[in-house]
Amino acid sequence: MVNASPLVRVNQTTIVGAVLTVFGIAALVACFQIDIDRDGGWGARIFPLAGAGALAVLGLVELAKGLREGRSTPLPAFDGWAVAGLLVLALVYSWAIGLVGYLVSTAIVAPLALVLFGIRDWRGLLAAAVLSPLIYHLIFFVGLGVFPPYGRWFDLLDVIQGY
Amino acid sequence: MEIFLALGSVMTDPALMGWVLAAAIVGMIAGAIPGLTASAAIAMLLPLTFYMEPISALAFLYVIGKSGRYGGSISAILFNTPGTAASAATQIDGYPLARRGMASKAMKVATISSIIGDFTGDILLIVGVGAIAAIALSLGPPELFAIYFAAFVVIGSVIGKSITRGLASAALGVLVNMIGLDPISAKDRFTFGIFDLTNGISLVPLMIGIFVLGEVFSQIEQRHAPVEIIEDATGAEGKARNRLSWAEYRLCIPHVIRSSFIGAFIGVLPGLGSSIAAFVAYGEGKRRAKNPEEWGHGALEGVAAPEAANNAVSGPSMAPLLTLGIPGSTIGAILMGVFLIHGIQIGPTLFITSRELIFSLFACGLIGIAMYGVIGYFGAAWVGRFITKIPVKVLYPIIFLTAFIAAFASRGNLFDVLVMVIAGFGGWLMKKFDFNPAAFVISFVLAGGAEETFRQSLLLSHNGLLIFVTRPVALVFLIIGIAALVFRARTLSQQAKEASLKDA
Repeated sequence: MVNASPLVRVNQTTIVGAVLTVFGIAALVACFQIDIDRDGGWGARIFPLAGAGALAVLGLVELAKGLREGRSTPLPAFDGWAVAGLLVLALVYSWAIGLVGYLVSTAIVAPLALVLFGIRDWRGLLAAAVLSPLIYHLIFFVGLGVFPPYGRWFDLLDVIQGY
Repeated sequence: MEIFLALGSVMTDPALMGWVLAAAIVGMIAGAIPGLTASAAIAMLLPLTFYMEPISALAFLYVIGKSGRYGGSISAILFNTPGTAASAATQIDGYPLARRGMASKAMKVATISSIIGDFTGDILLIVGVGAIAAIALSLGPPELFAIYFAAFVVIGSVIGKSITRGLASAALGVLVNMIGLDPISAKDRFTFGIFDLTNGISLVPLMIGIFVLGEVFSQIEQRHAPVEIIEDATGAEGKARNRLSWAEYRLCIPHVIRSSFIGAFIGVLPGLGSSIAAFVAYGEGKRRAKNPEEWGHGALEGVAAPEAANNAVSGPSMAPLLTLGIPGSTIGAILMGVFLIHGIQIGPTLFITSRELIFSLFACGLIGIAMYGVIGYFGAAWVGRFITKIPVKVLYPIIFLTAFIAAFASRGNLFDVLVMVIAGFGGWLMKKFDFNPAAFVISFVLAGGAEETFRQSLLLSHNGLLIFVTRPVALVFLIIGIAALVFRARTLSQQAKEASLKDA
């Protein structure tokens, strides 16, 4: 017989199981927001329900497995600050492109990404701020003819093109 | 016969040959960079191919996949870090050989074995794919749905450490694919009133997020880990030690042949992939070896077997994609996107509508193998040294920036960039918690076809779900799916029991 205190039972498997179950139940609820067909059929709901149901059931299986394990399996170690910093930078970058355009946002984000990875040489950072937007602009927007994302507030391309 | 015509046609097209050569080099370098996989390189370069001819685009990405699988062996042997999951088995014997000053010899064995395995896989594909396509033409929606079902279960349960997390990854892939308008009734599904979601989630930013940005998240945690190359022994004695003789390679040949067929067989099964093929071939090779005690300590056969198997997967893994429209691997899933972007409908009719294109693609594959073989045989050590000169601290920020513009370029839509960021963080979390990103992506791709065939089957049926049981082929595939799940559950449970007995 396994004697496990409640604290020990809250291990990685239990947490993953709980999260999956909650996610599955939320998806099940969302499935019922999908309109039924004109003839009353569930055509558009069937597959989402199958996916959500499977997720909820698998979550419960994982939860039960975690509770049965009776031993603590630690959460995986991770470099929280670096990962959080990169995530924030990525989110801000994707938001900033729409506000100030590709050139300015990339000129700011390129050196910041290098700093996050441990580059401290200011000449390198300055070069990245100038060269990154220039090279990507030339390859994608000039070479491949992709239409660039213009900023809503300001865009350096407008200034360069004299608008 | 058609393949010879295609070979002639490709070889007289300098631009296409240039793309194949570029792919052989890019794939090898990408595969050899620890952490960067061929899938990541393909996902990142995918938007560039939108502007290319269909055959150039497909050949470029297909050969990157082949060369990338081989490139993984370079870092496995020279850096003791497998460049791809598929080359982890190569590392077991490759690295001890490198430590003994025989890195070049190990690389030569890996190169020759990879080429033989890859050629075997491609030849089997070319010979057999027409027959599979002919059979596929006779399959109806119930049979196709049963194949999709088997693929979901196999992909979710067979790869990775946990069946439940693998299957949950597949279920998540299905759910994410459901976002947007229902293709039949045009009802909103999981859009929550957000206009951008009505078009659904696009495959390209999702792939770039999972495989490229996800890897950048992983690499930022390892940014201080040094990459060190093991050099060959120097001088005349070192040169002599690294000369590969026929007598030495002859001992590897039975393992290479067996492993090539193992790899080709595993390659046809959706979702299993190169890493499983490599480990199965390694295990089988060691079991049958005359010198099993040397395996794990630097046996040349221990390098040859997994390398032949993981490259033999490449060709046959295209069979389910080309004949059924079911991608057998993440690279297959990306290629499926390329076919669709260029307006080519994949599935059994592909061999009627685009026969010339398909045989040209096979020809490019064969030429690509020869190219990476020659480059690898003479230049693998140089590629290894080149990679050590690329600082991770600079490489991954460049990849980070490229991921953003590649995600944007796919549809010119900033919402795709946000999708890519969320998928990237999600992909990193999945890897951290032993979920299966490959199962997630392949299920995302399969879900649309599976839903379509499921609903078509119900329309054909007067007995509802019983149609899947009354059609023999459909029933066989349903049983295969369930059997794979049960078999995997029993294997894992046995392993857990053995581990707990050892602990005790």
